Amino acid sequence: MKNEALPRDVFINEIFDEAKRNRNIYFISADLGAQALDAFRKELPEQFIHAGICEQNMVDVATGLAQNGKTVYLYAMAPFLTFRCFEQIKVSLASMHLPATLLGVGVGYSYDDAGPTHYATEDISCMRSLAHMEILTASDSHAARLMARLSYTSPALRYIRMDRQALPPIYTEADTFIIEQGLVEVRPGKKIVLFTNGITMKMAFNIRENLLAQGVELALVDVVKLKPISLERIREVISPYDKIVTYEEHFLSGGLGSCILEAMADAGICKPVLRVGIADNYHCENGGRGRLQKLAGIDVESATKKILEFSNRA
Amino acid sequence: MNIELLKKKAAWLRREVFELVAVHKKGHAPSSYSCLDIITTLFYGGHMRVNPKNPKWEDRDRIFISKGHAGMAMYPVLCDLGFVPFEELKKFTKPDGVFRFYPDPSIPGVEAITGSLGHGIGIASGHALAGRHAGKNYRNYVILGDGECYEGSIWESALFAAHHKLNSLVVFVDRNRCCILGHTEDCVQLDPMEDKWRAFGWNAMTIDGHDFAQIEKALQSAYDPSNTRPTAIIANTVKGKGISFMENKPGWHNRMPNDEEIRQARAELDALQTA
Repeated sequence: MKNEALPRDVFINEIFDEAKRNRNIYFISADLGAQALDAFRKELPEQFIHAGICEQNMVDVATGLAQNGKTVYLYAMAPFLTFRCFEQIKVSLASMHLPATLLGVGVGYSYDDAGPTHYATEDISCMRSLAHMEILTASDSHAARLMARLSYTSPALRYIRMDRQALPPIYTEADTFIIEQGLVEVRPGKKIVLFTNGITMKMAFNIRENLLAQGVELALVDVVKLKPISLERIREVISPYDKIVTYEEHFLSGGLGSCILEAMADAGICKPVLRVGIADNYHCENGGRGRLQKLAGIDVESATKKILEFSNRA
Repeated sequence: MNIELLKKKAAWLRREVFELVAVHKKGHAPSSYSCLDIITTLFYGGHMRVNPKNPKWEDRDRIFISKGHAGMAMYPVLCDLGFVPFEELKKFTKPDGVFRFYPDPSIPGVEAITGSLGHGIGIASGHALAGRHAGKNYRNYVILGDGECYEGSIWESALFAAHHKLNSLVVFVDRNRCCILGHTEDCVQLDPMEDKWRAFGWNAMTIDGHDFAQIEKALQSAYDPSNTRPTAIIANTVKGKGISFMENKPGWHNRMPNDEEIRQARAELDALQTA
């Protein structure tokens, strides 16, 4: 698997192309840059707004623009775009049911050296609690491109989650259905299926390889759409399997695993589930993302072990 | 500007707002009264260009009662102008009523949900930017509580509006000097208020917020073609203005009057109307 352009740059380039045609598009940044944003700022200065490091005001300004029919993008590091201005998102955007795209970069431990201030390990649980909020995660650049297209062809209140780093491609240009499907089986398996997305999808490919060597064929499902999850689709995806694993670089409380469990309950599915995610702890540690994942017990080795044990359990 | 008309309208509005509180036992009359003369001037002094038949008319002037607890001061006005039938006042906060405790855009003539403090200038700035880029000349008025200025988001918005020179933005700071637990300067000091706004790059001035001539003069200063900045009008006001026993008493923020107090308040407000 070769790395490609950063998902955020793919997303912003797509919006930039559309913004040249559509002067109603506004891109607001809370002082977060991107290679792709440089050209946008230069060529479309009226449509690019530097909000300052003022996420609360950024959301309210976006609200006013959205009320005037503008297609608005809010761009910031994921932790600051979600928790810092949570009340503004709730009151101004969600409670008035306004469309806006919140593009959060650096989910999970993306900003590994920065510490808990910069970790977005609660962003799913926080954002999914808001009415009208859709949540998507880009597991590769193709998915990011499709999400960008969706954001202007079908504006809604939508939180789009992206890793800070490039992710290997898992889709081809022909895979145009992935957002509509929401839950995409990217690798088949037998008896056991794993739900994940983003950076942990990349890691899940390695886990799958490890388990294959142990005789366990783990199916992989990309949770493209965390909210809403189609009950019909989750029945379809889960039906061939006996055991379910959820895997995330997010707190277990309210994260991807919770999304899947709740959808299973609502869909009337009762099967054993193993949740692999971050337990209640903030790590102030050096050593990079791999070390943090190891401390949290979600690195490839730890996850493989947990899943193998779960798979072998009667 | 017809000051006599404004006085008459303000006296009528005070009486109508009081009935909402007296009858339904809900609402914030004192907070409404401190900014009521400003709202009266905007709507009846020829400032607000609105179309009750088309509340979302693109070229309308916008008003954001950022201190949402005073949003009820606008309700009788919206009826008087024809946005909402007068009968709706009788159904204030009732299940089948349009008017709610705090305003939201489901009410014709209301731009945004307020009640949670600190949102008005930011949202109005979005409207101001949209208007500028569309080549429209509508104005964006915000009624801000002085206690609301404790919210950090206000100052984020103040920076932003000044940077973008949003001169269609006119903010009234309802400086009644009261928050719920006491007087602002005893709780957390806010003075010097005008200096703060000026330091943030605003066209700032201080007036008597119950003097119609001063309100008008301040608005004309905001409209001056040479003014390239957003305007902050610090309006010194009296919380509860018009009902003697409520005036400047923080404890009346959300207290409901008893029968004797209702009788006295009605008498005082009736006297204002006939003055």
